[in-house]
Amino acid sequence: MDFMNLANLAHVHLLLNHFPTIGFGIALALFVVGLVSKSEEMKRSSLVIFFLIATIAIPTYVTGNASVEALCTGENHECPEGISEVTIRAHEDAALIGFAMMLLTGFVAWLGLWQFRFLNRTPSWNVGAVLLLGFLTFGLMARAANIGGEIRHPEIQVAPVPAPPSDGTLGGLARDMGGYVNSHEWLWPASEALHFVGLSMLLSVVLLLDLRILGMAKKLSFPALYQLLPLGMLGFLLNTVTGMSFFLATPGQYTQNGVFYWKLLFIVLGALNVLYFMLLEEPWKIGAGDNAPMRARFMAGSAIVVWIGVLFFGHMLPFLGNAF
Amino acid sequence: MDFLRAIEQSSFSQWVVTSSSTFAFPGILLLHTIGMGMVVGINAGIDLRILGLAPALPIAPFEKFFPVLWVGFAMNTVTGLILLGADATTKIVNVDFWVKMIFIALALINLKMLRTRVFREPEKPFSSNVKLLAVTSLFFWLGAIVCGRLLAYVGPVSGLSD
Repeated sequence: MDFMNLANLAHVHLLLNHFPTIGFGIALALFVVGLVSKSEEMKRSSLVIFFLIATIAIPTYVTGNASVEALCTGENHECPEGISEVTIRAHEDAALIGFAMMLLTGFVAWLGLWQFRFLNRTPSWNVGAVLLLGFLTFGLMARAANIGGEIRHPEIQVAPVPAPPSDGTLGGLARDMGGYVNSHEWLWPASEALHFVGLSMLLSVVLLLDLRILGMAKKLSFPALYQLLPLGMLGFLLNTVTGMSFFLATPGQYTQNGVFYWKLLFIVLGALNVLYFMLLEEPWKIGAGDNAPMRARFMAGSAIVVWIGVLFFGHMLPFLGNAF
Repeated sequence: MDFLRAIEQSSFSQWVVTSSSTFAFPGILLLHTIGMGMVVGINAGIDLRILGLAPALPIAPFEKFFPVLWVGFAMNTVTGLILLGADATTKIVNVDFWVKMIFIALALINLKMLRTRVFREPEKPFSSNVKLLAVTSLFFWLGAIVCGRLLAYVGPVSGLSD
């Protein structure tokens, strides 16, 4: 997997990192315009963008660690002349806070999108929540992006950056959280156990919904099964949180592990897949006893392949990849 | 113990543990995880429906998903026995392993009771008895998952008994 070397991943980070700021800003603007012009479709579109950007925020965050490893290649990971490790860590911490808030915003936007299907409009609780979380997240992400820019653009630095402490004790939120996981022996196994609970929640919905569309238990209608989707999304959220605890504890196990990036790619495919079932009319029309149309069957089959793929790559991190 | 050691040292068990093939230990454990998703996924779906999630779903058609559950269970019996055989002398003295087995046994008894009450003699709305069975079912599977995952972390380390 030569294309997944660190230098290329640094490029991926520089490409992706525009989405949580510029893309998110566009989604926010679209949401406000939709609100003012009372356009439900415009609000719905912006909820879709919020959800997708929150998904893309996962690879955006983790390729940041890969970028540092590509950049600071000194014997003790010292950074080259003119690059401040203090700025890098400040960017990492700001990005972690922004990322956490973005996951929350994406989840809330997804819930609004889910309810939209029943109500044919954005639920009113959701409008307020998305606006509040959206502006907060946008501010936090803009801050992260601003500090990130200063890593390589000394012309925009306002004050000289302090040098890292010479005893190598430069901490920061992300590193401290990782250190916390590492120093509490029970935390990793506990996260692993929860990761498998989340996996079961997600697979529960994937199997019930997609096997029905493929022809099993045809007396269940799609709109009724659609009510189950938040269970799968909660499982996914639980696994993102527990997964991040692994990543923060041992980022190096993942940044240089090609299998990890395949897993992230499949997660993004899973997010695109669920949007088919949430946005299009044709699966919604599958009533009790109906045969599903060909395209719905194809998407149901791919959902199973994609999520088993996510499980496969996650499972193979230490076997096919080089973790642990 | 001699019997267990013989299983452990059989050429098949040795292949499972030492082979670098993806189809050996990694693949068998992967199938065990997928099987877990099938068993718990279907059973938890039924439990949560009984507890009021997705109220628009009729419960009767869920019986059609049982073959998926049993295929998953068969997969996990086979892969579980292989994984046990490959590490028999240490797993058999691991309390966590036996707690997991008890959880699975209880979950299966629970499933049988639930199936009789929900699918053979359907009642509507669900009685508090049935709802309690749904809660205990979720609890037993949760216990089995947690104990199973923790097998990688607790108890004697394999190879020490040699």
